[in-house]
Amino acid sequence: MIDGLELLVETLITGNLVLIHGLGLYALTRYTKTVRTAVKAGTNTVVGMLLGGTILWLLGDIVPTSPTSQIGFYVLVGFIAAATAPHLTRQDASPEYHVVDTALIGLLLIMAQRNFPGVENLWFAMGSSLGYFIVLIVVATIRQRLELAPIPKAFRGTPIVLITAGLLGIALLGFWL
Amino acid sequence: MKIFWEGVFRRNPVLVLAMGLVPAVAITTTALNGLILGISIALVVLISSIINYVVIPLTPVSARLSLRALVLIVLVVALYGIILHTSPGLVAGLGIFFPFMVADAFRLLKTEEQPPFTDVVLEALGQGLGFVWALTLIGIVREFLGLGAIFGRPIVTTVLRPLSLATGVPGGLIIVGLLLALANAITKQGGELND
Repeated sequence: MIDGLELLVETLITGNLVLIHGLGLYALTRYTKTVRTAVKAGTNTVVGMLLGGTILWLLGDIVPTSPTSQIGFYVLVGFIAAATAPHLTRQDASPEYHVVDTALIGLLLIMAQRNFPGVENLWFAMGSSLGYFIVLIVVATIRQRLELAPIPKAFRGTPIVLITAGLLGIALLGFWL
Repeated sequence: MKIFWEGVFRRNPVLVLAMGLVPAVAITTTALNGLILGISIALVVLISSIINYVVIPLTPVSARLSLRALVLIVLVVALYGIILHTSPGLVAGLGIFFPFMVADAFRLLKTEEQPPFTDVVLEALGQGLGFVWALTLIGIVREFLGLGAIFGRPIVTTVLRPLSLATGVPGGLIIVGLLLALANAITKQGGELND
C-alpha cells in the first residue's frame, strides 16, 4: 500500500508524465499555442486517463498474463478511453489526433508495470492527469511570452517548446535527491 | 520518386514534421534503440498504409477510424511479439513504451485522398526511411553525449566525462529541440511545417 501523498508527489513532480517520462509531446507541441487550446486538449486527455484508470480498476482481474497480449490489452483500453473522452466532455475534438494519445497509453503502460492493486489505479491516474494538465497550462503560458521574445527563426515553434520543456524537466529532476 | 525523397528529407516525419517525438525522447537513448525503433515504425507505416489503401475503403465510413486504429494495434502487438521471441534483450532495452509507434503511424495515415497505389507505397517507404535515419541520428547524438559511445563502442573514454543528462528525458527534449532547430535552419522552413 502506497501512501496517498507519496503517490501525488510522485505523479506530479518526480514521475511527471510529460517532463520526466517524455509522454504526450504531440499535445505539448501542438495544443499549447494558447491557454484555451491547452485547457481544451488537456481536459479531453484527463477525462480519458480517469476513464482508463477506472477501466483498469474494474477489469483488474481479467488482464492477460502473457506480455504480448498484455501490451495489446493496455493499448486497446487506451484507445477505447481516448475515443470515448470527447463524447463525455462534449468537445468537438479532432478524432484523427485524439484517438491515439501517447500520454494516455503511456500512463496505462506505467500502471501495468507498477501493477497497482484495485483502486490505487484510479489514484495514480488522477495524480498523473493532474500533473499532465498543469504542465500543458504552464507551457502554454510560457509560450505566449515566448511569442514576444526575440528568438531566432529556426527555433520558433516546436524546437523552443521542446527546449523549454527540457529545462522545466531539469528543474523537476532536482526533487529526485 | 519525388514523393519518396520528400518523406526522407524535406518533409522528414521526425525532424521536420515533428512526429515521433515521444519515441525520439523517451526511448531513443542509444543508437541501436533508434535504429530498431526506426525500422519497426517504417514496417508498421508501410504495412498499415497498404491495408489503409486496399481494405479500409471497402468498410463503412463510421467504422473506419476505429478500424485504422485496430489494424495498427494488431500490427504493433504482432511486431512486439516477434521481437520479444527472437531477441528478448532488445525489448528490455526499449522499455515499456515500445507501442508508442501506434500513435505516429496513425497520424501519418492518409484518410481521404486516394492517390495512385505506387505513390502510397513510395510515400510510406520514404517516411519510413525518414524515421530510420532521424531516430538513428538522435540515438547516436544522445549515446555519444550520454555514454561516450556509439552503437555500444566506446569513443570517448578519458578526455571528457559523459553527460548523463543526455540519456534522460529532459536532456532528450533539449537535444531533439536543437536538432529540430538545425533541420529548420537547413531546410529554411522556419518551423512552419512543424508549428
